[in-house]
Amino acid sequence: MNMRKALCKQAMALVLFLLPLTMMAQGTIQGVITDETEVPVPGASVVVKGTTNGTISDFDGNYTITVDNFPATLVFSSLGYATKEVRVTGASTLNMTLAESVTGLDEVVVTGLASSVKRENLANAVATVSAEELVGTTGQTTVDGALYGKVPGLNITSSSGAPGGGFALRLRGISSINGNNQPLIIVDGVYYNNVEIPSGLRFASGANRGNEENSGNRLADLDPNDIQNIEILKGSSAAAIYGQRGGAGVIIITTKRGQAGKTKISFSQDVGTNTIANPLGVRPWTADSVESTFNAEERAKYEATIAERGSLYDYEDIIYGETGFITDTRLNATGGDEKTRFYVGGGFRDEEGIIKNTGFDRLTLRANIEHKISDIFDFTSSTNFTRSNSSRSFTGNENEGGLSYGYTLAFTRPWNNQFPDDNGNYPNNPNYSGNPIFVRDNALNEDSNNRVVQGLTLNTKILTTERNRVKLVLSGGLDYLANETYVYVPETHQAQIGNQGGFIAQGKNNFTQFNGQAIMLWNHDAMGGDLGLTTQAGITYLSQESNLVNSRGALLAAGQTNVDNSVNQEIDQFLSSEEDFGYFGQVEANYKDQFIATVGYRLDKSSRNGDPNKFYGFPKASLAVNVANLDFWNVEAISQLKFRTAYGETGSPANFGATFTSLGASNIGGAIGQSVLGSKGDPDVEPETSAEFEIGFDLGLFDNKVAFEATYYNKAVNDLILTRALPASSGFTSETTNLGDLVNKGVELALRADVVDNENFRWNTSLNWFRNRSEITRLEVPAFPQPGAGFGLGLGTIFIQEGKPVNQFATNLDLDGDGVTEPTQIGVAEPDYQMGWNNNITLFKQFDLSFIFQMKVGGDNLNLSKFLTDLGGVSPDLETAAGQARLSIPANGQRFLEPAGYLRLREAALYYRLPSATITSIFGDTVEAVKLGFSGRNLFLVTDYTSYDPEVSVNGSSGLSTGIEVTPFPSSRQVYFHLNVNF
Amino acid sequence: MRNSIKIITRSAFTLLCAVLAVSCSIEPVVDPNGPSIDGVGEGASKGQLNELVTAIESTLRNGLGGASTQMGSMARELYVFNADPRNTGDVLGKNGIPLDPNGFYVTGLWNASYRNIKNVNLLIDAVGNTELVNDAERNGYLGFAKTVKAYRLVQLLKAHGRARIDVLDPDNLGPIVEFDPAMDAIRALLDEANTDLSSAGATFAFSLSNGFEGFDTPSTFAQFNRAVAAVAALYDGDSAGSLTALNASYFDLAGDLNVGPKHIFGLGAGDQANPLFRVASTPELPNNGDQIIVHDSWITEAEAGDARVEAKSALRPDPSSQDDLNGTHETTLYATNVSDIDIIRNEELILVYAEANILADNLGEAETALNVIRTSAELPVYSGPVTAEALTTEMLNQRRYSLWAENHRFFDLRRYGLSNTLPIDRTGDQIFNQLPIPLSENE
Repeated sequence: MNMRKALCKQAMALVLFLLPLTMMAQGTIQGVITDETEVPVPGASVVVKGTTNGTISDFDGNYTITVDNFPATLVFSSLGYATKEVRVTGASTLNMTLAESVTGLDEVVVTGLASSVKRENLANAVATVSAEELVGTTGQTTVDGALYGKVPGLNITSSSGAPGGGFALRLRGISSINGNNQPLIIVDGVYYNNVEIPSGLRFASGANRGNEENSGNRLADLDPNDIQNIEILKGSSAAAIYGQRGGAGVIIITTKRGQAGKTKISFSQDVGTNTIANPLGVRPWTADSVESTFNAEERAKYEATIAERGSLYDYEDIIYGETGFITDTRLNATGGDEKTRFYVGGGFRDEEGIIKNTGFDRLTLRANIEHKISDIFDFTSSTNFTRSNSSRSFTGNENEGGLSYGYTLAFTRPWNNQFPDDNGNYPNNPNYSGNPIFVRDNALNEDSNNRVVQGLTLNTKILTTERNRVKLVLSGGLDYLANETYVYVPETHQAQIGNQGGFIAQGKNNFTQFNGQAIMLWNHDAMGGDLGLTTQAGITYLSQESNLVNSRGALLAAGQTNVDNSVNQEIDQFLSSEEDFGYFGQVEANYKDQFIATVGYRLDKSSRNGDPNKFYGFPKASLAVNVANLDFWNVEAISQLKFRTAYGETGSPANFGATFTSLGASNIGGAIGQSVLGSKGDPDVEPETSAEFEIGFDLGLFDNKVAFEATYYNKAVNDLILTRALPASSGFTSETTNLGDLVNKGVELALRADVVDNENFRWNTSLNWFRNRSEITRLEVPAFPQPGAGFGLGLGTIFIQEGKPVNQFATNLDLDGDGVTEPTQIGVAEPDYQMGWNNNITLFKQFDLSFIFQMKVGGDNLNLSKFLTDLGGVSPDLETAAGQARLSIPANGQRFLEPAGYLRLREAALYYRLPSATITSIFGDTVEAVKLGFSGRNLFLVTDYTSYDPEVSVNGSSGLSTGIEVTPFPSSRQVYFHLNVNF
Repeated sequence: MRNSIKIITRSAFTLLCAVLAVSCSIEPVVDPNGPSIDGVGEGASKGQLNELVTAIESTLRNGLGGASTQMGSMARELYVFNADPRNTGDVLGKNGIPLDPNGFYVTGLWNASYRNIKNVNLLIDAVGNTELVNDAERNGYLGFAKTVKAYRLVQLLKAHGRARIDVLDPDNLGPIVEFDPAMDAIRALLDEANTDLSSAGATFAFSLSNGFEGFDTPSTFAQFNRAVAAVAALYDGDSAGSLTALNASYFDLAGDLNVGPKHIFGLGAGDQANPLFRVASTPELPNNGDQIIVHDSWITEAEAGDARVEAKSALRPDPSSQDDLNGTHETTLYATNVSDIDIIRNEELILVYAEANILADNLGEAETALNVIRTSAELPVYSGPVTAEALTTEMLNQRRYSLWAENHRFFDLRRYGLSNTLPIDRTGDQIFNQLPIPLSENE
């Protein structure tokens, strides 16, 4: 086909279709859009129903729209307000008051790669978190940590209380046992790298693997305050269009956009503190108990210390008892005109931890620009630079390192002085291989990140007619992350593994991700406008490359902090590169907002699969029926009643390297050897596929002042890629291949209501409740302990077993008394259910009170910190009979299993907005609004769990390690003062 | 209307064509981080074969530290006081807890040995599928490989009592074989290796590390092969076979006790440090971290003046205790973190000779051999009764002190049925004298 001819035809068509429009009766409608308190609503959309003709209100709420053909219906909408429709018969002035909506039925939700649909018409339970919900209550360090209690179906686990976090997000249960469990994160169209980067500190601490190094995950580089809203596609039915990267759900983050009108400048300052949330206390030692636990010599030391200073050293308080100072400063400007809109801003957050010399800081700069080149072309560009640094010190599991605080404190007896003398010499710890005060003062575990994330979208309106609109959307994204890690242990540290004093590790790690897509989008109005069809088709491409280099040295020259000044040096490097390519197509049909149906299909291939050029298909289909919109519906009280059902499939390719069986260096005497490694690859590995069926209904009562949403889902994950243990006599200890299936079934309920709504008291509340049950439905191999998720069947481990929950704990027990132990289920990490309760109360228009309670009921943890403190004799309860009785129980998983349910006041805040009259009298016209307030995070916790926090994961945020504790960084309570000023 | 639909259809079709044209073909990714295991299966070069040889020697060290300390703890030779509480808990059967067939103290030696054996099998396979070596060279590779494999299998039998012998096909493993038939298979393998070595020319086509200095040609390596054969024959109850093998080995009653191939260690990349070295305490800085503490009984039950006690252990400035276990002495078996560890030294062969002679009822010869050991330890010559029973007790006692913390005591007590004579240090502790087969073997 001749391209030029086609273009000509398109041009002809445009003229033909636009001509008649200009000849009809025209008129202008204008007015002011305000909210119920008569404050202008800027940026509200006004559209002539059934056309693409629309405008946006300016900063003062003014709008003007030219209507081509009367009578017409104008649709007024704005995010957070209920949509209103008004019929107009001729040119006139029309002032509009919009009512705030808490039900969110009017917001627009992304459902395709280039299309969106009103929540009212959505066939999936897609969760949306607005900027207000995300950061409106209290200060937030990371995006994942800010989502607690706000999204039904989202289970969050914190693997570290260190500033800068370490969070595991799980949507609708476990999606993969061995592969990716973190949802795909897309920020302004850019695939966002959420990697957790090991630092090599395990070579100093003796931790077993990189994921025991207590690293943060790199979503921490995104400033939560930059976010406009977050959409969460929880299951495969909603995420199917993301194909093989959508297996664990998709989190779509949109950052703030500019608004046309007067340039608005907003400044905000948070000041706060971090303190330990839940200290455990010191065992109330007596001289007798010291002697009975240890011996007479220790008793003498105890008595000497009591005589000298009157009390014991409270090392928990000394190490974890610091008050960390937090500041967060943000300045941004938004504005623009009809053609160009911009949002530029920057923020700096500096946070100290509860351990001296720990902290996190982050500088972010952002420029989001939207520009309309012509009626045909427009583009959006989002640019974000982040520089973040963290200092996380040493926590978690180790072996002989003498570094991890919790580990060291378990063996540090509180009558031994660990403080340096006047000459700065730190005493040796007589009972362990490290002095925690020395480590705190002198050893370093740091990382820094420089990151650029750039997204670009170009829209080309190829054809715009009354009934047909065709658009080509080209978009691409780049995410470049340069990470550096630095671990330093001075040569004077007590533990000298293999007599090599001092350790240094310098990591330089680069990650480059590029994604691109081309989408053709066609909106077609059929049946006289009653049936809207949205069709899209396109291609996507993703490439990811990483290069991790870690140089290490041991046996350091005195006081030197450079790898060069060490004797025994080692470098290791890990390279990876992967590519994905896919096609997709989708058709959505909307009949009068009554019946909304979607079918779609995605084809994907990936270099991570055994056959990199084999396509895998991921279909989807959904149907929503808005019963309340049907013509016969006349129940006034029920403003919305929607039944919805959806089916979809997603996938997850094998981890990089799963297809290889490779040799690795094993050297002796200066010669290089190539030895088999423990793992055997599968050159034919196929992606895991998830198939999810979801059904539910939405109910809105009394003009949607009360809304209820219920969803049931059944998500089957097939062809799970497992690392199973091989008979080690094969020469391989593990093999990674497709070996099983699992099912997640769950229920999600959400209730939102404007409970009270009058001038001086407004209260809206939302309650969410969700549960998930998982089960391994097929396992081709005998049950096995999941590698890297536990410490063997002796101490308890996650145990993969057919017919059991995927994250059950098992240990060796001899229940039948035959003298032989069998792996026996003792608990499960998965909670029975979880709830979030979110409240916003406005008093006298000026005061905002909000709080979120979060509750987890059921679920177990393996508290192996207690194993250590029991051994060291420092568990706080050891002066009690119950505590002493525990010491004689065999050290198996059953002894350390504890219930991990909790109730937590996750966030609470009280704000005061200065009345505009006061502002005017003080600042004149320069200042628009002033808001100040206090807030807190993790304010209180009710739990039976006996360690710092029932949320634990010794193995970081990936995999199944959730629920196993070995001396984590204790979580903190944050208290803030906030000041926001808008100019 | 119709027209526009046509245009849309055509535009979409055009786009689709364009899209199909750009559909990229994804290149299969080759592992950027290491060579493929299949690369050596066919037509391997000498360079590739020799890298396997180096890996075999290197991985021969794998599991050594754990085996010596964990089975040493079970045999109450020593305690490991370090961060892993299972070293003083599970391993000693604290509070009646049984050994976990998936615990590191069960899987450690097993997994390491079979990885070593896998390297051996890769080499055997590679040597058989390449034209780039001649017959003598091929025999050299095979003799080396089979000898290492047999040595490893002996270690496995000592620990687990049983082992899998045929592990060539990872998807179709042979059975787990009981001790006696397994030992027969090992001895046959050693003889096969010895035959290979005898027609392997004057030199190997590969080089071994300094640890094999003096044992790095086909004929001298065959002496090591015979040393392993002597040990295997002894454990198999074949004293005549053992004595015959000893004669072809580097066994020498009058020679240096330390002669024999060694594991060497290094701190470079991909290399390993001596896993049994522990930082020695000084009066100012007692080692309170990772410690190997000598079991008090080894100190208190030693004959007065035994030089081995002072050579291998030192009194700590303060007694060490952990988990209700106590010890006054710590290891000084290895001076540095790169000290060699003997594989089989003449001292052990002399003890093997003594034992084989007791079994063969040559009690005088056995006494002579034991006196060589006693004299070297600055002890007076043996003065007890010259009966098989008394000499066996003496021989086991010499083995206890000569081979302390070298992973012999555990098996010595088991094969003589003496494990139950070990002391129980804490109420509720147990004696284990054989490791179970690891869980992953799905037995």
